[in-house]
Amino acid sequence: MKLFSNTITTLENAINYSNQKQKVIAQNIANVDTPNYKAKTVTFKDSLSSAMNANVTNNKHIPFSATNNASTAVVTKNGVTYNNSGNSVDMEKEMTDLATNQIYYNALIDRISGKFSSLENVIRGGK
Amino acid sequence: MEPLSFSAVSSALPLSNTTANSKATSVANTQNSFASFLKESINNVNQAQNESDVLTNKLARGENVDLSQVMIASQKASITMQTTLEIRNKAVEAYQEIMRMSV
Amino acid sequence: MTIFNSINTTASALTAQRLRMDVISSNMANVDTTRGRLVNGEWEPYKRKQVVFQEQEGSFASHLNTARGNTSNQAGGVKVSRIVEDETPFEMVYDPENPEADETGYVRMPNVDPLREMVDLMSASRSYEANVTVLNASKSMLMKTLEIGK
Repeated sequence: MKLFSNTITTLENAINYSNQKQKVIAQNIANVDTPNYKAKTVTFKDSLSSAMNANVTNNKHIPFSATNNASTAVVTKNGVTYNNSGNSVDMEKEMTDLATNQIYYNALIDRISGKFSSLENVIRGGK
Repeated sequence: MEPLSFSAVSSALPLSNTTANSKATSVANTQNSFASFLKESINNVNQAQNESDVLTNKLARGENVDLSQVMIASQKASITMQTTLEIRNKAVEAYQEIMRMSV
Repeated sequence: MTIFNSINTTASALTAQRLRMDVISSNMANVDTTRGRLVNGEWEPYKRKQVVFQEQEGSFASHLNTARGNTSNQAGGVKVSRIVEDETPFEMVYDPENPEADETGYVRMPNVDPLREMVDLMSASRSYEANVTVLNASKSMLMKTLEIGK
């Protein structure tokens, strides 16, 4: 019996991504004066979208599902300019990313909290 | 007035006792499926509570965990527990309702 | 590797920037110090100091964690690896009346340029403020997380 819809799983993955992004942004801003430091970023590999379903022709095939396998990876940013000490952190970009990420995270937490409370409400039968 | 003949009607809608039989088997099936349903529910609760406990322990010991993971796991465990409780309540209610029926 | 990962990173940055500001204020205070240090029986003027930042590698615990297969990033951060002395030559100021003047009337002054120190100070201050903003953001995100399901 599947209690928790795909939306909740998607929200969970997004929250993990946002958490990781926050750590990376903090690290970038902390190292803004470190020579030869290359700015990092987080990539979100959502390798399975809900629109993509595997055509299971053999019963030994593993069916895709739109639930898990979204992984995040911390990689070095490409296509950035360096200053003369080899540092590639763009302070303004990082600060705006910080603000954006915070709003994104708050929105996700709000949504997942709302979904949980409505589930609880339904289970309690509106009492 | 000639008597009405029902042969045409009866051939169109054959009344047999297959429906009674299927009802009997489906009751047994329902019992089985409900029992397994309940067992699966309890297993889900156990699993969810365990997961939540593992993450909470990691949090308390300061290990590699995200606060959001802990909170979400604990919410899921709580909701799963509530669901199973309600299922049990409804089952008990249904039983009591039946016992209250005067035969 | 705890939930306070990003807060620890930011804290290390605040410490590093604070140390940088301390070094800058030491330089500014000693801009006229002709008798900085006794070297071979002779007084040498104050030598300008500089901090060198380095990315902080994760601790042993975090390396162990990664080796055991627990993914997720290292607790990065920044630290001051050393405080070096600036080797640019001392400034020679012509002042024959000065008791420190040598035979040709020149006095060796510290190699501290106040303008450069001020710019450095502004940069350190800006970095410090940015890190404080990050700290507040991380903290508010954590507090918001605690409200799931309330």
